[in-house]
Amino acid sequence: MQKVAIIGVGQTRFGNLIDKKAEELFAEAFLEALNDVDKGIDISEIQEVYIGNSGVGGGQLGNFSSLMTDYLGLTGASALRIENACASSGFAMRAAVLAVSSGVCDVALAGGEEKMNDTPRNRLRYWLGISGDMEWERLSGMTFAGVFALMAIRHMHEYGTKREHLAMVSVKNHKNGAYNPKAHLQRETTLERVLASPMIAYPLTLFDCCPISDGASATIVCRADLAKKYTDTPVYVAGHGASTDRLSVFQRNDVTSISSSVIAAKRAYKMASVKPEDIDVAEVHDCFTIAEIIAYEDLGFCPKGKGGKLLEEGQTEIGGKIPVNPSGGLKSKGHPVGATGTGQIYEIANQLRGSVEKKNRQVSDAEIGLTHNTGGSGGTTVVHILKR
Amino acid sequence: MAHVSIPSYWKTLPQRYCLIGMKCKNCGTINFPAREICISCKRKSEFAPEKLSGRGKIYSYTIIAAGSAPPEFSEQEKLAGSFPVAIILLEEGLKIVAQITDYEPEDLKIEAEVEAVFRKLYEEDKVIRYGLKFRPVKKRKSLSCEVPNWSKTNL
Amino acid sequence: MSIGILGYGVYIPRYRIGKAEYVKAWGQFAAAGIEEKAVPGFDEDSVTMAVEASMNALNHAKVDASKLNAIYFASTSSPYAEKLVSSTIAMALKAPSQVSVADFTSSTMAGTSALLMSLDFVASGRGNFALVVASDCPHADPSDFLEHPLGAGAAAFVVGEGTPMATIEDSGSATIEALGERFRKKGEKSIETLGIPAYTETIIVNTVKSSVKALLDKMGRKPSDFNFVVLPQFDGRLPSRIARKTGFEETQFIPSMIVTQVGDAGAASPLIGLAKVLDEAKPGQKVLTTSYGAGAGSDAVSIDVNEEIIKRKVAVPSTKDYLSDKKYIDYIHYLKIRKMI
Repeated sequence: MQKVAIIGVGQTRFGNLIDKKAEELFAEAFLEALNDVDKGIDISEIQEVYIGNSGVGGGQLGNFSSLMTDYLGLTGASALRIENACASSGFAMRAAVLAVSSGVCDVALAGGEEKMNDTPRNRLRYWLGISGDMEWERLSGMTFAGVFALMAIRHMHEYGTKREHLAMVSVKNHKNGAYNPKAHLQRETTLERVLASPMIAYPLTLFDCCPISDGASATIVCRADLAKKYTDTPVYVAGHGASTDRLSVFQRNDVTSISSSVIAAKRAYKMASVKPEDIDVAEVHDCFTIAEIIAYEDLGFCPKGKGGKLLEEGQTEIGGKIPVNPSGGLKSKGHPVGATGTGQIYEIANQLRGSVEKKNRQVSDAEIGLTHNTGGSGGTTVVHILKR
Repeated sequence: MAHVSIPSYWKTLPQRYCLIGMKCKNCGTINFPAREICISCKRKSEFAPEKLSGRGKIYSYTIIAAGSAPPEFSEQEKLAGSFPVAIILLEEGLKIVAQITDYEPEDLKIEAEVEAVFRKLYEEDKVIRYGLKFRPVKKRKSLSCEVPNWSKTNL
Repeated sequence: MSIGILGYGVYIPRYRIGKAEYVKAWGQFAAAGIEEKAVPGFDEDSVTMAVEASMNALNHAKVDASKLNAIYFASTSSPYAEKLVSSTIAMALKAPSQVSVADFTSSTMAGTSALLMSLDFVASGRGNFALVVASDCPHADPSDFLEHPLGAGAAAFVVGEGTPMATIEDSGSATIEALGERFRKKGEKSIETLGIPAYTETIIVNTVKSSVKALLDKMGRKPSDFNFVVLPQFDGRLPSRIARKTGFEETQFIPSMIVTQVGDAGAASPLIGLAKVLDEAKPGQKVLTTSYGAGAGSDAVSIDVNEEIIKRKVAVPSTKDYLSDKKYIDYIHYLKIRKMI
């Protein structure tokens, strides 16, 4: 199996990008990634294309990949749209890595794109629900936020986690996102403001939920032994792992943990021969604040139930023991569903290369980074471990 | 607009109307909802219907704020505002997700005892979809015992 | 072994609206003698109420739903003008597929019609056990005074062979062609009346008087032979007016009065009234249950209470339990959940 390296990354601003079509967004991210390959690469070298997109709003649901390759001038490459809800582009990355590892190609493109803001709000409710259990959870009136709220309530009951801990995640990520020119929301917030904001699904308020964003991201990967041909600062994919969990949260034995995260992380750590304490920086899937707290535990950054404490101690701030979501996370950076996964890769690659735009977001001396991308309420998860 | 079609809904009526679980003849696990491959022994099995009692406790809950519910519940939202949805741990050891109805705010807590009741869930294309919700179990004033559970009727 | 009522149960929704709310909204509460009335929740209707009452009845009778041979549903407010809701109830109770079902609609006499039909079903030998459930939440336009007394509730009876707690001795019926006193044309949502109270009352009294007389003549009985009488209770004063004209005393009908707390529960009222009486009745006592349906018709059913009534005080909520489980709502909330705004 070939080792894989990342040679270029790109990402659009995440936000309310009404004036850009899907293909324009992806092209923007792709061109940035192409440009990021500092010794240059010919577009024709890209042989496999994997684009994550969960199809919010409908649009080109069939042959989406062909629409994209056409627009990008990549017609002729093998292309695939990957859908695993919010983990779509994380899995697109995985597919690209596997393609290169297998030896079937030398260079592959992974990325993701989503437009969410041009769907009317009342129809958006439907689209936000398609990644969960349609029959039982949805027909009991459950929403996407509601499912995470159930996890939060149980976590609060079993471990004494408080609403304040949830709010702290939001405050931290907003603080980071304020220094990310590509973030959807670039404004700090306070604990009081989060706690007082409108309730969406008790105990989650508006500020516990990630925004509805448009955006795209892209990563170019190649065989590790060829990486230096393209760039002096490749970032290596040291390990990856993926797993699934019961689709319906109510069917899970433990709703305070997402087993697909636990297993995906274990597999990635094993492949990379690292332990959780070796991780210097991580981008985790904080679609809701509780998801970040649960992720700390699932990824082994702290013992089960101690996620709130880790946060309280400031260990997940930039400068802490394990900086989490220096980009602002899904909460502040935004969550264009299909684009989030490779957006996380974009951030970690920049962190490891020391090329983060605003220096107060740069984690110093980061050698090993982790990305954690989960689909829906945890039905699928993919974890990548990157090394410089 | 996707939705659960009538034929799909109809297939699940034994679960939705009267809480029929499917007991795996291999390993005895009650599968709810029904499925082809037993969730426990992971084999294609034969199943025997078993009526669940409808009694349980709240395992977790949330309150869905008015304005955010799935489209099927927009009518309900208009009439009744925000509503609680809970994971209920049934007596038989398995979990179900359902709305809580006929409650007071103080009834929403983990471990609170609840019982299944037959109610309207929503209406689509003029067809009323009925199903189960759960309500807090109350001690009746005139009797020393609680409201009897479902299972006594249909063993 | 004889045939009769093996068990019964009621259901009254917990929501109540009081007289004061109507007075605030309309300056008066045009519902004589009614203090408050029951309101079905936003997720309830005559079908859901019927299911709960039926479960209580089956529990009370200790008859498993799998034994039922007939299920009869009676209501003036079925959510469907055409669709068997007794089928929905059959499924919810997990009754066997091969049961006789029927929906009795069109008037507030439907409850006693169904009760008598269930008796005939078992007596004829066509089946061993029948469930009859009357469940109603009549609807009228909120700007119409006719709306003021309308309430909600359900009562179910298991009729069959065994050791019944009460036996149905005989019945008398009467019909009069009556126009305009309470009706709902096809396609209309609300009941209406021509608004001539004296006319309406005359018809009700005459029809009930006629069915009672038919029964008393048949049985050779007098009104005073009955310990209890259940009279049509469209409002709180009507029973006393009918009683005066038919020879019954207050002590006989007061125990069956539910309208003062539940309102007019349509086709379910006579059966809920009967259930309330049976909750207190002693072996050997006699109950006369009467009904009235606009258009018009009336049944008078003579019921004897047996020894078994004592033994069957099982853990099923009584009528009093449901009457005392209440949560008050205001008029706006009422209008919303009754989909009147």
